[in-house]
Amino acid sequence: MSVAAAIRTRDVGELPSRRDEDWRWTDLRGLIRVLPDASEAFTGTLSPGPFDRLAADHHVLVNGGDARIDVAAGKKTLVALRLVSRGVGAHASRVTINLGAGARLRLLESYESDGASVCQTALTITLAEGAALERIVLAQDHEDAVSVSQAEVRLSPTADFGQTIVASGARRQRLETRVVHPGGRASARMDGVYLVADKRHTDHTTVVTHEGVDGTTSQLIKGVARDQARAVFQGKIIVSEGADRTDARMGHHALILSDRAEVDAKPELEIYADDVSCAHGNTVGAMDEDALFYARQRGIPEPEARAMLTEAFIGQVIDRIWFEDARKVVRKWAAERLRV
Amino acid sequence: MLSVSNLHATVDGKPILKGLTLDVPAGEVHAIMGPNGAGKSTLSYVLTGRQGYDVTEGGATLDGEDLLALEANERAAKGVFLSFQYPLEIPGVPALTFIRTALNAQKKSRGEPEITAPAFLKLAREKAAALKIDFEMLKRALNVGFSGGEKKRMEIFQMAMLSPRFLILDETDSGLDIDALRIVSEGVNAMRSPDRAMLVITHYQRLLDYIKPDRVHVLAGGRIVASGGPELALELERDGYDRYAKAA
Amino acid sequence: MAAVKQTVEQVQGLEKYKHGFSSDIEQDFAPKGLNADIVRFISAKKNEPQWMLDSRLDAFERWLAMDEPDWAKVNFPRIDYQDSYYYAAPKEKVGIASLDEVDPEILEVYKKLGIPLKEQEVLAGVVGSPRYAVDAVFDSVSVVTTFKKELAQVGVIFCSMSEAIREHPELVKQYLGSVVPVSDNYFACLNAAVFSDGSFVYVPPGVRCPMELSTYFRINAENSGQFERTLIIADKGSYVSYLEGCTAPMRDENQLHAAVVELVTMDDAEIKYSTVQNWYPGDPETGKGGIYNFVTKRADCRGDRSKVSWTQVETGSSITWKYPSCVLRGEGSSGEFYSIAITNGRQQADTGTKMIHLGANTRSRIISKGISAGRSSNTYRGLVSAHPKAKGARNFTQCDSLLIGKHCAAHTVPYIEARNGQAKFEHEATTTRLSEDQLFYAMQRGLSQEEAVQLLVNGFVKDVLQELPMEFAVEAQKLVAISLEGSVG
Ligand SMILES: Nc1ncnc2c1ncn2[C@@H]1O[C@H](COP(=O)(O)OP(=O)(O)OP(=O)(O)O)[C@@H](O)[C@H]1O
Ligand SMILES: [Mg+2]
Repeated sequence: MSVAAAIRTRDVGELPSRRDEDWRWTDLRGLIRVLPDASEAFTGTLSPGPFDRLAADHHVLVNGGDARIDVAAGKKTLVALRLVSRGVGAHASRVTINLGAGARLRLLESYESDGASVCQTALTITLAEGAALERIVLAQDHEDAVSVSQAEVRLSPTADFGQTIVASGARRQRLETRVVHPGGRASARMDGVYLVADKRHTDHTTVVTHEGVDGTTSQLIKGVARDQARAVFQGKIIVSEGADRTDARMGHHALILSDRAEVDAKPELEIYADDVSCAHGNTVGAMDEDALFYARQRGIPEPEARAMLTEAFIGQVIDRIWFEDARKVVRKWAAERLRV
Repeated sequence: MLSVSNLHATVDGKPILKGLTLDVPAGEVHAIMGPNGAGKSTLSYVLTGRQGYDVTEGGATLDGEDLLALEANERAAKGVFLSFQYPLEIPGVPALTFIRTALNAQKKSRGEPEITAPAFLKLAREKAAALKIDFEMLKRALNVGFSGGEKKRMEIFQMAMLSPRFLILDETDSGLDIDALRIVSEGVNAMRSPDRAMLVITHYQRLLDYIKPDRVHVLAGGRIVASGGPELALELERDGYDRYAKAA
Repeated sequence: MAAVKQTVEQVQGLEKYKHGFSSDIEQDFAPKGLNADIVRFISAKKNEPQWMLDSRLDAFERWLAMDEPDWAKVNFPRIDYQDSYYYAAPKEKVGIASLDEVDPEILEVYKKLGIPLKEQEVLAGVVGSPRYAVDAVFDSVSVVTTFKKELAQVGVIFCSMSEAIREHPELVKQYLGSVVPVSDNYFACLNAAVFSDGSFVYVPPGVRCPMELSTYFRINAENSGQFERTLIIADKGSYVSYLEGCTAPMRDENQLHAAVVELVTMDDAEIKYSTVQNWYPGDPETGKGGIYNFVTKRADCRGDRSKVSWTQVETGSSITWKYPSCVLRGEGSSGEFYSIAITNGRQQADTGTKMIHLGANTRSRIISKGISAGRSSNTYRGLVSAHPKAKGARNFTQCDSLLIGKHCAAHTVPYIEARNGQAKFEHEATTTRLSEDQLFYAMQRGLSQEEAVQLLVNGFVKDVLQELPMEFAVEAQKLVAISLEGSVG
C-alpha cells in the first residue's frame, strides 16, 4: 500500500489513511474519493524555477518521469532539481542520486504545482564514504494540490548529509525523509521550516535509524501556522542495539498565530542501546507575549514586532544552511510569506 | 510632565496599585523606593502598557495627554522609555537590527524621516563607546547569553539611542559592577535636560549618589506613602521601611 | 551523606520479590471460562440489583464484538479468555460485621504484607503518626474496610464497590461508567462485564478527608483474573488523597488484571491518587509468569478549578498497559501526572498519560521517569491535546529515560495536538544511561557499584518520589532498589 501504487493502479484503497499510524494526521484515503486521470505530457514552456540562477546543471521533471544524478568520487557539483506538476492529473516521479566516495553535491530541489494534481516523488539517495550532500527543498505547491515526496537516504561512514525542507503547504503536502545511518562519524542534519496559511496542510515526517556506533543526528524544525492551516511534524529517531555513542537531538517548535490553526507533533525516540545521548524538545503555542511587549515598549508597532520575532524564530533554522546562496533564497522566500 | 492621579491597577485580576498619585515635572528626577512587592515594577508596566496590567480607576497623563489610551508602542513613540528590571532575551534578532527597527518605527510615527544606515551606525558607535560597550556585542542576538550587568548596560544603550523624553529606570543598578554603575549613571546624567524627566526605581542610595534626585517617594502597599527631598533616601537607608509599613 | 547511608541500609535489606508467597485459603470459584452465565454468576454472588446485572450483560455483549488492541509496544501470546477464573473469593460467612470475623489466614496475609487492617494497630503508633484507612481487596472481593465509622462522621463514604451498589445505588448509577464508558476500550469493556470488587469513595462538599484512604489489592488464587473497579467522587470544594497498592504471588502462568478507575472532581475539588504497583513481574530469566496489567484510569475534572494528581510507581507486572488520564473540562482545572516506571528482566511497560484540555485556562504537568534494565522494554506514551475552546491551556512535560545494560529498550512516544492559538505546550525528553563519571565518583567515595547505582537512580526519580505521601515514598524507594537488583555488573 502506498501513494505510488495508488497513482499507478488508480485504486484509492491503496492510499494511506488515518488508521496507518504513520499517516494518522494526513489522511489521504479519507480525502480523495476518486483519483484523477494520469497527467498528460507537458508541451508548453515553463516559468523559471526558484533556484535557476544558482545552478548550471538542471534536471526538470514535468508531470512525472525518472531522473538520475551521479556525482563521481571526489567530484563536486551543484544541481537544481525541479519536480513540476502542470494541470490536474496524477503522476509519480522517481529520482536516483548517487554520490561516490568523497563526492560533494549541493542539491536545490523544488516542488511546483499549479492546480489540483496528485503527485508522488520517490527519491533514492546514496552517499559513499566521505561524501557530502546538502539538500535544500523548496516545496511551493498549489493550494489544491496533493503532493507527496518520499526520500530514502542511505549514508556510509564519514558521510555528511544535511537537509533543510522549506514548505508552504498544499491541500495535502507530505515531505518524508527516511535515513539509514551507519554511524561511523557520519552525520545527518534534518531541518525544516514550514509556513502555512489559509486552509493549507503540511506534514514533515522523518525517520533516522542509527545502525552503528558513533553517529550524530541533529534536527531543528520550526514552523508557523495561521488562519485555518494545519501542520504536522512526525520525527522519529531509532537507535538500534549496539549503536553506541549515538548523539541525536531533535527540536520542533511551532507558533500558532490564529485561533483556528492546528499543529500536531509526535517527536519519537526508540532506543535499543544504552550508551547514547538522545533528546528532543517540542514547543507549540502562541508567540512569547513578553518579548512582544518588550519590542513594543521600544516603539515597534505590533504587526511589525510580530513579523520581526517570527522571522527571527524561523531564521534560526535558515542560519543552519551551509550554502550561503541558498540561504539567501530561502530567507527571502520566508520573508515574503511572513510580511503579510 | 508626568501626572498620575489616584491610580488603581490589578495584575491578573489581583489589586496591586491602590490609589497612587504622583507628579514628575519636566526637568526633574524623582526616585521611587519601597519594599519588595510594593508595586514599583507594576507602576512601570502600567505606565508603559503591558498586557495583564489593568487600570481600574484613576489615570496617568504625559504633558496632559492621556497615556493609558495609547498602545504600548505609541507611548514609546511619545518618548516613554522603560529600562526593564529583567530585560528580555530576543533570540535571532541582532541588537543593532532591533534598535534600528525601533528607532525608525518611532520616527515614522512622529512623521520624521528614517535614519540612514551610515548615520545610525555612527550614532551607535558613539553611544557604545560612551557606555564602554564592545561594538561586536551589538551584532549578537539581543540579550541572549548576556550577563546580568551586560543586559542592564544594553538597556541604557537603547535609551541613549532612542533618546526618549520620559525615562523609567527599574532597578537599573542591580547587577552592575562598580565601574559599570558609574558609567551607566554618567550615561543617564548625560540625558538630564529641562525638557526630560525621570523616574528612578531603586533600593539603594549608592545609585542616588550618582543620579541626584530632586524628590524621593516611598511606595508601599500600592500607594505613595511619603515624599521628600534627597534626605529621605538616606533616612530610609538608615531606618528601613518599618514606619511606612503601617501607613500602607 | 545521609542518603548514602540510607541507601546502603536499603541495599542490605534487599530481597527478591518478597510478596511472592501464596496462601492456602479456602476459596469460592466461579467455573472457569467466560460467558453470559458467568456474568450472571458474579452478579448473583454479590446480590446485585437487576440494573447492575443488565449493565454487565450489555457490556459483555459489546465486548464480544471488540478486538484486542495491538498498538502498544508490547508483545505477548494471545490471551485465552476462556482459560481463567473470573471470580475467586475466600469462603466467608455472609456479611462480616467486624474484623474478628475475617478469616485469620487472610489477616495473616495482610500482616505479612505489612498492611494494617486493625484500626487499633494503626492507632497504637506514636501520636501524630500518619493514619490511613484501608480497603483490602483479596482476589475478587473486598474483605474489610477500616475506619468506616470515623469517616462517616464527616460524611465521607468509603466502602467496597459491592457495598456501594447495594447501599448507595443512586450515586453509583449516576457516576459509574460516566468517566470510562462501557465500550471505551477492550479491557475496560471486559471489566464492565465481570468486575468483581474495588473501592468506592464519596467526599461531600467542602470536606477535607481527615485521613489518607487506601486500597490494597492482592491476587492470591491461581489462574484467576482480577477486575476491580474503583470510583472516587470529590464533590465541590472537597479534598481526598487515595493510595493504591498491589501484589501477587509468584506463579508460572500469566494472570490478567484489568481494572478500571474513575475519578470525578466538581468545582474546586481535588483528588490525589497514588499507586505503588508491584504485581509479580514474572521470572526475570525466562519471562515466564507474571501479571498482565491492563488498566484504564481516567479522571474527569468536571468542575471549575478542580484538580487531579496521579502519581504512580510502577515496578511490577510482566506487561503494563496503563495511561492514567485527565479530561480537563472545567475552566481553570488542572491535571498532573508523576510517574516512575521501572522494568527489569523481561518486563514490558507501555505507560503514560493523556491530558485532554477542553476548558479555558486548563493546566497540566507531566513528569515521567522511565528506567529500563535487563532485557526489558519501557515505553512512555502520552497525549496532550488542546481543543479549540481551551484558550490559555498550558502543558509542561518532562520525560526522561534511563537505560541500564546493553539489551534493554526505552521509547518515548508523545502525541501533541494543539488546536488553538492560545495554548502553550512544552515538552522535553532525554534518554541517557547512568553517567560513568558519577558512578566512578560515588565508587571512589567507597560505595559498591550496586550502591552507587542505587544512589544515582534515587536522584533520577526524586522529583516523582517527593509527590508521594510520606509513608508511601519510603516504601516506593525500597521498591525501586529491589526492582533494579542485579541489573548491573
Ligand atoms: N502575574 C501576577 N499575578 C499575581 N500577582 C502578581 C503578578 N505579578 C506580580 N504580582 C504581585 O504584585 C506585587 C507587586 O509586584 P512588583 O513587581 O510591582 O513589586 P516591586 O515593588 O517591583 O518589587 P521588587 O522590589 O521586588 O522588584 C507582588 O506582590 C507580586 O507578587
Ligand atoms: Mg520590581
